[in-house]
Amino acid sequence: MRIPIVLKVNGKEYCLEVKPNEILLNVLRDRLHLTGTKYGCGIGECGACMVLLNGRPIASCQTLAVCQSGQEITTIEGLAQNGKLHPLQEAFVDEGAVQCGYCTSGMILSAKALLDKNPDPTTDEIQEAIRGNLCRCTGYANIIKAIKTGARRIREGTRG
Amino acid sequence: MSNSQVITHDFDYYSPKTIEEALKNLKEEGARVLAGGTDVLNEIKMGGQRPKGLVYILGISDLDFLSWGDGLKIGSATIWSKLEEDGRVKQEYPALYDAVKSMGAVQIRNMATVAGNLCTASPGADSAAPLMALSAQVEISRINDRGETERRTIPLEDFFTGPRKTALDQGELLTAILIPAPFQSSGSAFRKIARVKLSIAKINCAVYVEREGDVCTHVRAALGGVAPKPVRAFSFEQTMTGKELTPGSLARAAEMVNEDISPRNARSTAAYKRHAASYLIQDTLEVAWKRSGGEMEK
Repeated sequence: MRIPIVLKVNGKEYCLEVKPNEILLNVLRDRLHLTGTKYGCGIGECGACMVLLNGRPIASCQTLAVCQSGQEITTIEGLAQNGKLHPLQEAFVDEGAVQCGYCTSGMILSAKALLDKNPDPTTDEIQEAIRGNLCRCTGYANIIKAIKTGARRIREGTRG
Repeated sequence: MSNSQVITHDFDYYSPKTIEEALKNLKEEGARVLAGGTDVLNEIKMGGQRPKGLVYILGISDLDFLSWGDGLKIGSATIWSKLEEDGRVKQEYPALYDAVKSMGAVQIRNMATVAGNLCTASPGADSAAPLMALSAQVEISRINDRGETERRTIPLEDFFTGPRKTALDQGELLTAILIPAPFQSSGSAFRKIARVKLSIAKINCAVYVEREGDVCTHVRAALGGVAPKPVRAFSFEQTMTGKELTPGSLARAAEMVNEDISPRNARSTAAYKRHAASYLIQDTLEVAWKRSGGEMEK
């Protein structure tokens, strides 16, 4: 059984045929070559595979590609505009919030979803928002700092 | 062989747009419901489930709603985040709001449905205890032999029949959860004990209390993780109902919880769970009591 689907990823439409058992994460990585989204635990606990579905963070390892036909998906590759990094991405670089980098895509997408709702979050609100993103380098302090810096730059319309 | 990266098992896929269509799809042999996927897909990945077909219900807009009338009706395709975002849930059913906040990470709340959590029927499901304490019922739909859609509504505690077992028959779909409006001077709360914040509960507990002055006029309490299925704490309720709330009366009632539970050595020893449950229920009732506007001497 193969099913035609339309995946709308980062504003582009991709017409594909998938088997029902194909996981969204694997279709993004292996078929669309959007490898910024990572396979971590595979059971929805680590946040490495996070993408935004209609603006909400979800675990792309926990859904079938066929279920998301027609929905708006944003991956980390969709954040930079015209070759310029998103202010959150710049802030992660400037604050040294990236160590091995494996959690970074998910962290930034969680942060983006948070800032879209709440442009000036408290530390508690940031911690709550990234509760489902595990960083095994344990670089959380700089990650939280970077999210605050990114938030401030977005509010002020400035960049690093 | 199981792994968490790909699904090797093949199945048919149905994406109904209406409830009737879904009920027809569910009549196919070996078909089961797929909602948020956070339980079902993991079970398939790990080899625990090999369904012949999956019926994806999150595309059915008639099942995605929170409807306020005389109480609250939650459609079975409603994700947890929508409960968090509707301010009235926190105000009217704080036990349910506590459960949302304690349950999973953001990405899980954005995918998983409340009804799905009930249907997985884990003995420690975080939705079960609060909804039982709040007197919830579930609406179950099916197509009968004459091809007509039929609905039945049962109390949530009759929905759970054993560990990961429910009263749903093949072909049936849980379509809504119904919670009656709370009494005016009432409060509710949910608390859990887990390894770390996001983990599945070792024990969870919810209490709903109605208050007149210093007297508990009505109490409903439920516990998860301490029996093969989520249970009501009837002995505790009976001992506490009609009593003035004092640390002494609460502690005496909490001892009765031992009559209500039958924990096994899972995620903690049974002895620990018995001990912890009697304290957890006291803490939970105290929070519910405060929310009802009551005070308690220390």
